[in-house]
Amino acid sequence: MPAPARRAAPPVFGTVTVMTTDTVTLTGLRTVYGTGDRRVTALDGVTTSFAGGTFTAVMGPSGSGKSTLLHCAAGLDRATEGVVTIDGVRLDDLGEDELTRLRRDRIGFVFQAFNLVSTLTAAQNVELPSRLARRRPPAADVAAALDAVGLADRAGHRPSELSGGEQQRVAVARALITRPAVVFADEPTGALDSSASRQVLRLLRALVDDHGQTVVMVTHDPAAAAYADRVLLLADGRVVDELTGPITAAAVAARIAERETVPAESSW
Amino acid sequence: MVSVRRSASAFVAVAIGVALVAAATLLLASGRPQVPDRLARAAVVVQSPEAGASADAFVPTRPWSATATAGLVGRLAALPGVAAVVPDRTFYAQPLVDGRPVAADTRREDAHQGHGWSSAQLGGLRRTAGEPPLRPGEVVVDRALGLRTGAPVTLLTAAGPEAYTVTGLVDGPGVLVADEVAAALAPGVRTIGLVLAPGADPERVATAARGVVGGDGQVLTGAARGALEPRGDARTRWIGMQVLTATAALAGFVTVFVVASTFAFTIAQRRRELGLLRAVGATGRQVRRMVYAEALAVGAAAGLVGLLVGAALAPLLGRLLVDVGYEPSTFRVRYELWPVAVSFAAGPVIALLAVWSASRRAARVRPLEALREAAVEQRPIGRVRVAVGALLVAAGLALSVGTATADEARIAAQYALYAVMALVAGATVLAPAVVGPVVRLLRSPLRRPGGAIGMLVRGGALTATRRTAAIAAPVLLTVAFAVLVSGMVRTTTAAYAAGRADNVNAGWILVPDRAPGLSDRAVAATGGTALLPTTVYRTDPGELPADRPLTALGVEPAGFAAANRALTVVAGSLDDLRGDDTVVVTEAANLRPSEAYAVVFADGTSVSLRVVAVVSDTSIPGDLLVPRAVVRTHDPSALTSTVYVRDRIDPPAGARVVDVATWAAEADAAEDRLVWLFTLLLIGVSAGYGAIAVANTLLLAAAGRAADLRLIRLAGATRRQVLWLVTAESAVVVLIGALLGGAVAFVGLLSIRAGLAEQVGAPVDLVVPWSVVAGVVGLCLLLAALASALPTWRSLRRRPARSSVGVVG
Repeated sequence: MPAPARRAAPPVFGTVTVMTTDTVTLTGLRTVYGTGDRRVTALDGVTTSFAGGTFTAVMGPSGSGKSTLLHCAAGLDRATEGVVTIDGVRLDDLGEDELTRLRRDRIGFVFQAFNLVSTLTAAQNVELPSRLARRRPPAADVAAALDAVGLADRAGHRPSELSGGEQQRVAVARALITRPAVVFADEPTGALDSSASRQVLRLLRALVDDHGQTVVMVTHDPAAAAYADRVLLLADGRVVDELTGPITAAAVAARIAERETVPAESSW
Repeated sequence: MVSVRRSASAFVAVAIGVALVAAATLLLASGRPQVPDRLARAAVVVQSPEAGASADAFVPTRPWSATATAGLVGRLAALPGVAAVVPDRTFYAQPLVDGRPVAADTRREDAHQGHGWSSAQLGGLRRTAGEPPLRPGEVVVDRALGLRTGAPVTLLTAAGPEAYTVTGLVDGPGVLVADEVAAALAPGVRTIGLVLAPGADPERVATAARGVVGGDGQVLTGAARGALEPRGDARTRWIGMQVLTATAALAGFVTVFVVASTFAFTIAQRRRELGLLRAVGATGRQVRRMVYAEALAVGAAAGLVGLLVGAALAPLLGRLLVDVGYEPSTFRVRYELWPVAVSFAAGPVIALLAVWSASRRAARVRPLEALREAAVEQRPIGRVRVAVGALLVAAGLALSVGTATADEARIAAQYALYAVMALVAGATVLAPAVVGPVVRLLRSPLRRPGGAIGMLVRGGALTATRRTAAIAAPVLLTVAFAVLVSGMVRTTTAAYAAGRADNVNAGWILVPDRAPGLSDRAVAATGGTALLPTTVYRTDPGELPADRPLTALGVEPAGFAAANRALTVVAGSLDDLRGDDTVVVTEAANLRPSEAYAVVFADGTSVSLRVVAVVSDTSIPGDLLVPRAVVRTHDPSALTSTVYVRDRIDPPAGARVVDVATWAAEADAAEDRLVWLFTLLLIGVSAGYGAIAVANTLLLAAAGRAADLRLIRLAGATRRQVLWLVTAESAVVVLIGALLGGAVAFVGLLSIRAGLAEQVGAPVDLVVPWSVVAGVVGLCLLLAALASALPTWRSLRRRPARSSVGVVG
């Protein structure tokens, strides 16, 4: 495995570069869907950042805006107001194709389910973003990435022949090989049993510790959040709390319980 | 990325389409004019000047007169390398066996043609017995007739039955008589054959001959002599070409549609996967290119398979076309390069055209779709789609108006075909928008069967409008096409027959039976009013070709006026039609009575006629009227087509008597039969495709619906209820398609009826062959029911609790 140092962002995008050590910054993010009576404010002025080489968990009850936050931060969705930067590049300046290229080169994804293209083998799925960028990663790199997630012997299998946990690990390997600036994970353990969950979370942790990558994970599970360096708590589209330092599942659960007792706050 | 399972339906549809295109183009390329066997040994042939520009009239060339022929023969004989110069004379002569024309092979024109004996040396005719005919009353016949030399035989000619003696037998069709007899029966000559001396170069002789002939004919060598094939063969081949072209075009058009809907459907099913690709970094263009590449791969592979199947089928189809009468009996399948190349290219081209709209939709899939669980479609129909659909419908309606106002039947039919193509395309494009309201309309009949099923069927059809539309589209296409085309053909046929019957004022009509026409003696025996048609030529040096063929009818004016109710005399009087130089013209000729009118008759002589009357254009079933005697003088082999009689009489040899209605219906029976067969062929192609498309889409949809159905099972539905549900769903969708298609076709039929009524000048009844429509809808229903019930039944054999409901977070 090559050195974990992240390669410098190539000056592909002729946009304003904001000098920062933060890999991802969100400034005054507001997202409004619908109009009139059906108007829903998913994000209501979120300002935060995710520093390089850190693992952040985003938590909150259903409808708190945590998924919208992830989608906006990853450039999958556009905010109504506010600015997102990744590696200093402002996403709102980018056209659809530039945004796609940014995703391909600097963002990795691990979704709750449906991470892999069903007609491709595990190895081909790992290669996919590089191949889309017309680069062919060395076979050794692909093998190493699959080995790192414990799937060296499953390279030729198709998703239908892999378990849910194995599919998530292929997605992690895919995030590993492109060495993106940031990996966004949306409930990556939501559909897994506890041992498979632990495996996937340990791999995400290793991305940060061994490869110096940045991980942002949305979860509702305090045990999963315990793998993070920092936990953001969202409610009604706002960041309402933040935990840093050594994080344990018990501490997260306690903090959540605490918020539940606060009157006039939405329930989890 | 090409998934076999996903591509199977597109593959099958493209393969069948290419097979049809390949077979049709191979047959098209094979349908070349054949050098008649009779002229095979004449290396150089001179043909009289071509007449008429219309390719489908198949009129004979303008003949040379006896003098012109003699002059040409003399000059051609003097050319170096020419061994013999033979004017080939063709006339009507049909041997009677047991007092009746021989039944065998009446479609072959040359079976009832006679020639002079000298023509035998132009072809490969071999005398198998006896002596050549040298005197009047001697004849050489086809040995296949089973006659012996020296036996008496009755020859039916334009004058009537004549007694001949068989002097010899040959191994080919037709009869051969002494040259002087041939010259009397066919004074005008259209073909002069040159037999070359051994070693003479045909091209050099041809060049010399061109110098001799000048503008008074064409000199043909090699394959170009195919122009001399019998006119009937040329006409049959032309009809066959129309059939094949239309079949190939329809197959291509329908294939694009079917494959497009299949692709659209697979794209809709793959939204999440495409969203994932977009999320991990595929640009819209890359997704689009990927979809194109898949289509190209499927199209190329299916095209190859289709080409092989089509090439294998071509000879079988060729034989079928000959049997049915779409190709002359001389037709043979030849494998040429261009149809192979065209068909091979057709597969990828069809696939790429078909995937165009699906690829646009695929490129628009947003990366977030990878995260969506539900299969709820948001917007049923895009704005571009509405615009395109509206444009197509507008074009279709405009073309319908064109159909209704067209003057000529053939142009109207063409407009109608384009109109229905545009309307069908428009209706298919707009189907998602229309499906909702139609389903809501069907609410009440759907509510009855058990409540829950009705609710589910309605809900499914409403939320998945694109799916519903994808299944309804091919049904729409098929039903619209079937109703419109069959209705158009039947309505037109009935309208024309009614118009014909209306115009005739007679009790009974004498028509030829197993013969191309009636002889003078047969006509004289009836005492009725006869039409004696002949082709005359009017020369206008200002046009190209200079000679225009016209149909002149030889009539007795009084009887003709009495029998023809449509006759409207605009100027002059029909009574003056007598003597040997009078003519009645139609308004189209733009002449007044007493003006001169010069024509060339079948014997090649040019005669200056005097206009005695002008009639309206639709008055007569031809272009000119001349006294019957004038036709007989100039065309000894002209045959009477029709005799109007007051009372039923005993028909003479080679004739039969029918009532007016039967005659009107039969008048174009041979043509109507071909047209109807053609119609059924086209409907068959499109119905087959429609059914395939419906089955395809339903099979694809079944996979996507398995989870849904399992949930419904878990909710307490019995297996029978679920089977009912899917079958009812498919039936509803097929019926929606049939309704929409029927509506589209009805608009087209109404416009056609309006056009016909204007042409015929009387109200026209709309005739819709319901059996054909019911057959098409039934086929779609049957396949739809099977394609939805079978996979469901298979997936339901597992017990609901054991199968997982899918990954739900």
